[in-house]
Amino acid sequence: MTMHATETDAIRKAVTVPLPVEKAFNLFTAGIDTWWPFEEHSIGGEQTESAIFDVDAKRVYERDADGSEHDWADIVAWEPPNRFLLNWRVNPARPDTELEVSFSAEGDATRVELEHRGWEKCGPEGRASYDTGWDTVLGKLVEAA
Amino acid sequence: MDALGDGTRRLILERLRGGPRAVGELAAELPVSRPAVSQHLRVLKEAGLVTERRNGTRRLYRVDTDGLAEVRDYLDSFWTDVLAAFEAAAEAEAERRTNDDARD
Repeated sequence: MTMHATETDAIRKAVTVPLPVEKAFNLFTAGIDTWWPFEEHSIGGEQTESAIFDVDAKRVYERDADGSEHDWADIVAWEPPNRFLLNWRVNPARPDTELEVSFSAEGDATRVELEHRGWEKCGPEGRASYDTGWDTVLGKLVEAA
Repeated sequence: MDALGDGTRRLILERLRGGPRAVGELAAELPVSRPAVSQHLRVLKEAGLVTERRNGTRRLYRVDTDGLAEVRDYLDSFWTDVLAAFEAAAEAEAERRTNDDARD
């Protein structure tokens, strides 16, 4: 049987890098500023000055040269140096998708696995469930009134 | 039609991740003219990647995840790029570490 990717399947990527797990995790997160391809992949483009993994505030965002900030994600789970889970904002008008990145030792190297999932929440059906959810909440308010 | 085969259209989509924007705002941030931005937005709209809404006298454009398959494909190549950049940085750091060790 041939498998076809559907629009709601998780995106999975993996890469093995020649660093110990802790170094790889720190480079990916605290050091994101030094390697993220801002020019192609940021909201501010050439204006983007830095990206920040703010563990205390549980958010990941970019900052432009003029100081304005754009949110990328909320930090949902933070388990250094093995794993983190984010709510990744694809469409500000829809529920977020989930991005999980895990780091595991492979000898002296580290395998980094990335899974971006939850597409079903972000598409038209996701919006429908949001809409219904609000109908229910508003219905209860009306009943209570 | 390959709506995202064009670099400017990919940049427009990246800008819209930050929230809805008007044509003029996009044109101010990108190295292309306003008519060119409008043209690219039309292609993105036809591909189901972007949607348009009137807000008073302004027309605002936003990412449209109703065109979910296209958006998901886009993010697929997004993560490929991002991990390639991470891999290159990790290799450079590993090389620095090796050189430092050699000097010790």
